Amino acid sequence: MIRFENASVVYPGGVHALKNVTLAIPDGEMMVIVGLSGAGKSTLIRAINGLVPLSDGDVTIDGASVRHAKPRQLREIRSKIGMIFQTFNLVKRTSVLNNVLLGRLHDAGTLRSLLGMYRAEDVEIAMRALERVGIVEKAYVRASNLSGGQQQRVGIARALAQEPKIILADEPVASLDPPTSHVVMRDLQRINRDLGITTIVNLHFLDLAKVYGERIIGMREGELVYDGTGAQADEHVFRDIYGRSLTADDLLGEPAPVPA
Amino acid sequence: MTAASEAGAGARPEKPPRSFAALAGLAAFAVITWFALSEDFGIGLDIGELIENATRGVDIWAEFMRPNWGFVPQTVDPMIETFQMAVIAAVVGCAVALPVSFLASRVTSPNLAAYLADRGVLSVVRAIPDILYALIFVAAVGIGPLAGMLALLFFNIGVVAKLLSETIDGVDTGPIEATRAAGGTGLQTSRWAVLPQVMPNYVAYSLYTFELNIRASTVIGIVGAGGIGQLLNTQRAFFRYDNLAVIIIELFVFVFVIELFSIWLRRRLV
Repeated sequence: MIRFENASVVYPGGVHALKNVTLAIPDGEMMVIVGLSGAGKSTLIRAINGLVPLSDGDVTIDGASVRHAKPRQLREIRSKIGMIFQTFNLVKRTSVLNNVLLGRLHDAGTLRSLLGMYRAEDVEIAMRALERVGIVEKAYVRASNLSGGQQQRVGIARALAQEPKIILADEPVASLDPPTSHVVMRDLQRINRDLGITTIVNLHFLDLAKVYGERIIGMREGELVYDGTGAQADEHVFRDIYGRSLTADDLLGEPAPVPA
Repeated sequence: MTAASEAGAGARPEKPPRSFAALAGLAAFAVITWFALSEDFGIGLDIGELIENATRGVDIWAEFMRPNWGFVPQTVDPMIETFQMAVIAAVVGCAVALPVSFLASRVTSPNLAAYLADRGVLSVVRAIPDILYALIFVAAVGIGPLAGMLALLFFNIGVVAKLLSETIDGVDTGPIEATRAAGGTGLQTSRWAVLPQVMPNYVAYSLYTFELNIRASTVIGIVGAGGIGQLLNTQRAFFRYDNLAVIIIELFVFVFVIELFSIWLRRRLV
């Protein structure tokens, strides 16, 4: 269970990115956060694993405070939270397998990990993660040689290799073309359903949010303005969240393919 | 979007005026250059005089143009000594410079205190010229290649740490964020998110310092720090420009071969 308790974030420049957010996310939920750029979606997600420090309030994960965690405790919390990024954030100059093994660093021991001498079971976990996203054959290929969609699947495999309880995905499909976007979203959906991993996804395409979000959170100017199911979220709801009428740019525009 | 731009979304902005600071900087640069060249305050460069006196060195040039190839055997041992000094100093210096560089970049330094301390030590290391290191180590361990190697070692740490730490400042921070998000420590982040990004530069800088060492060994040899520089200095003292020419040609070939090797290696790594 993730709990936000009056959580606020003020950036050094004075921008109030998160205002007094209170929110509970039960285990195993697939939650989508929507909102315009600058609404605080990325900040909300990064507050969960402490990449962005809170200015006020707290975020707790299974009761453990993120704000008051010491560096070692924070690493412990983070090791249970996988993260997926808009720009994939792979180390392009090294192999796919080495990238996925970054997800095992927290458990590998300092000396072993520095020398790259991972235990056989860590390599096995990484390989299984690659199998789950269907690109295990690329394990020894340099990350820079993969397409965008493949790179994002490596990103997902890296998160899975942590054997996490929670996955955070910050605009995971914003750099991908529409068909690939659905492939990646379905990967995330499958991971959520098969493994019971709480999955929190930032999206700005509203049709994608409606299809994949069991629960949808709407953010505007750092505040929580909507909290409901994907089925309830209609055009009026989105218009309220965005504070303007919707345009074609707000939609991915490609329907989800029917599963074979 | 298109509709908005067709409707003329507003007046085009004025071109911003040239920055005053840039103009002032250019003016200061011009004044300093004039000051450096002027007869009264500076080195007094006079192009006319330069042309007039161009023929004065002609005798020396003539001797340089007749390299004494019979001198080659005598250069072999000092050349090998220079090579050995250069290799050891480059290998050890670059190995030491690697962790030092990570401490000297805000991206990878664990805290501000370590960063400032490391930067401070580095600027002292770099401020001391190679010939001064040579003098210090000749005094400490005596005349010979050991003093030369130690001098080159410090010189190498300064060069590589400066170049590499600035390269680290410019790496893609995305993988760093990803590694931290996965629960990695600072050390693990440096190893797996940063080092792969700067590896080709590190190799290039290491080869560059090796090349610098070959050249610097000619200068530090003058104060007795071993290698080809010591031989070069004695030949210069006896005005044997024909022998000097041989040494200089050998050095040229040496540096050129390193350059070719460096290009080949970098092409394989990038």
